[in-house]
Amino acid sequence: MARASLLISPELCIGCRACQIACKSWNQLPGDKTVNRGSFENPADLTPDLYNKIRFVEVPSENNPVRWLFVSQRCMHCDDAGCMKICPAPGALYKTKEGAVAFNKDKCIGCKLCSSACPFNVPRYDKNDKVSKCNLCADRIANNMAPACAKTCPTGAISFGDRDALISKAQKAGYAAVYGQADLGGLGAIYAFHDAPKLYGLADKPVIPEMVVFWHKYLKPLSWIGIGGTAALMLLHYVAIGPKKDQEDKDDE
Amino acid sequence: MNRSDLITKESTFGIINHWALAISCIVLTISGFGFLFQIQGIGSAFSGFPAMKVVHNWTGVVFTASLFLSMFNWLKESLTFDSDDIGWILTAGGYLSHKAKVPPMHKLNTGQKFFYLTLLVSGFAIAATGFIIWLMPENKSMLVLSHFIHNVSFIVITAFIPVHIYLSTLGNPGTLRIMITGKIPYWWAKKKHPKWVRELEEGHGN
Ligand code: HEM
Ligand code: SF4
Ligand code: SF4
Repeated sequence: MARASLLISPELCIGCRACQIACKSWNQLPGDKTVNRGSFENPADLTPDLYNKIRFVEVPSENNPVRWLFVSQRCMHCDDAGCMKICPAPGALYKTKEGAVAFNKDKCIGCKLCSSACPFNVPRYDKNDKVSKCNLCADRIANNMAPACAKTCPTGAISFGDRDALISKAQKAGYAAVYGQADLGGLGAIYAFHDAPKLYGLADKPVIPEMVVFWHKYLKPLSWIGIGGTAALMLLHYVAIGPKKDQEDKDDE
Repeated sequence: MNRSDLITKESTFGIINHWALAISCIVLTISGFGFLFQIQGIGSAFSGFPAMKVVHNWTGVVFTASLFLSMFNWLKESLTFDSDDIGWILTAGGYLSHKAKVPPMHKLNTGQKFFYLTLLVSGFAIAATGFIIWLMPENKSMLVLSHFIHNVSFIVITAFIPVHIYLSTLGNPGTLRIMITGKIPYWWAKKKHPKWVRELEEGHGN
C-alpha cells in the first residue's frame, strides 16, 4: 500500500467513544481511573493507557445555547516527525511502510525527549518510562485490517485507507482544505472540517520546536565537524610544522 | 639542583582527578555520539541503548564530581593572567614556528589556562543540562532548551579534546609523564615554566 492514513471528520462524530474503547481493547490497555470534571470528556487528556481520545469542545453558538464538537485526538503520524528526529535510540520509534510512526518499547531508553519535539503533545510514558502512543494499529495494518478505531466507528467519522484517495474524497465532499494535508510533510491523520482548527484544539500551523530543528540541521553535523576538524588540524600540525622537541639543550640555563 | 633532578608538577590528587575527568569525558563522548547519530555499533558495545543510557547518566555523575574537584587543582592558576599571556597569544605559543620567541610561562601556559576555563564552563553547562534531561523531563520547554545547550557544549568540549590530547602527547613529547608520575626534570621545568620555578626557588611557589 502507498501511504495510508486516517481521515477524521469531526462533523460526523457523535461522541460515542466507541473508538476510544476499541483502541484500548485491541491494544490491551487498562482503563484509567477517571474523575467527574463536569464534562463527558474523559479522561481529560491522553495517558500512557489512552492512545486515542475524543476531545469534547463546547463552543458558543448563535442558534443554540452551545455547540458541541467532538474530535479524535491522537498521534498524527507526521511524515516529518519531530519525535523521530530527536529520539536517540534506533528502532524505538520507526516508520512502517504505510507511513505509521510505530514504537518498540524494548528499544526505548525512556529519555522522554520525544515529548519535547512533538508538535501535538502526544507521547506519553508508561510506569517503566517507555514511550506509549497510537501506532496506527501497525500490527493490524500489516495484516490488511483497518485500525481498531476506524473499524469500530459507527458514523464514518474515522475512516482509513490510501491517503491520496482519502484526500480527494474529502475534497469532493466539499472540504477545500484538509487539515494536515501538507503540514510537517503531510500528516498520517488528516481532518476534514469547516471550522477554524483551533476550535478543535488543533494548532493553525503545527511546527516542530525551532530549537529541535536547528539542532537537527546544524548542531548534529557540527558535532562531527568540530572533533574531526580539530583532529585533522592536529595531524596537519604534526606533519607540516612538527612537534616541539624539547631537548635538554645547552643554552637553557 | 641538578639539571636532571625531578620536581613535582602534579600532585597524586591532581593525577587521579585528571584521569577520572578524562576517562569519564571520553566514555561520555563516545556514548554521546552513539545517541546523537543512533550509531548501532556503539550501542551494541554498551550492550544496547537502554544500558548505554544508564552508563551515560552515571558516568555523567563521575564527570561532574571530577570537574568540581578540578577547581581545587587548576582553577587558581588558570585565572592568573599577566602581560606574558598576550605575548603567548601573539606568538601562538610557538606552535606555528619553532623560531618564535615565547614569553616565560608559569605552571600552565596561556593555552592550557584557556583550555581549562573553557572546559570548566562548558563542562558545567553540559553537566547541568544533562541532569535536567535525566531527572526532570516533565517541563517541555526546559527539556528542549537543555537538550540544545547540552549539544552546544558537547561540540565545544569534543572539539577541544583532540587538541588537548595531541599537545600533551605527540605535539610535546615528554609531557604525558606529568599526568603519570607527576614529575618533570628540573631543566624542563626551567625551560617551560620559568616563572613557576623562580617562585619555587624563592620559596613561595606551590
Ligand atoms: C586520553 C587522553 C588525554 C591525555 C593523554 C591527557 C594528558 C594530559 C597531560 C599530560 C596534562 C598535563 C599538562 C601540563 O601539566 O602541562 C593534562 C592536563 C589536563 N587535562 Fe588531560 N589528557 C587527556 C584527556 C583529557 C580529557 C578528555 C580532559 C577533559 C575532559 C582532560 C582535562 C585536562 C585538564 C583540565 C588538565 C589541566 C589543565 C591543562 O593542562 O590545561 N584531559 N592532560
Ligand atoms: S504527532 Fe507527535 S508523536 Fe505522532 S508522529 Fe507526529 S511528532 Fe511523532
Ligand atoms: S522516550 Fe523512547 S521513544 Fe521517546 S525519544 Fe526517548 S528513546 Fe525515543
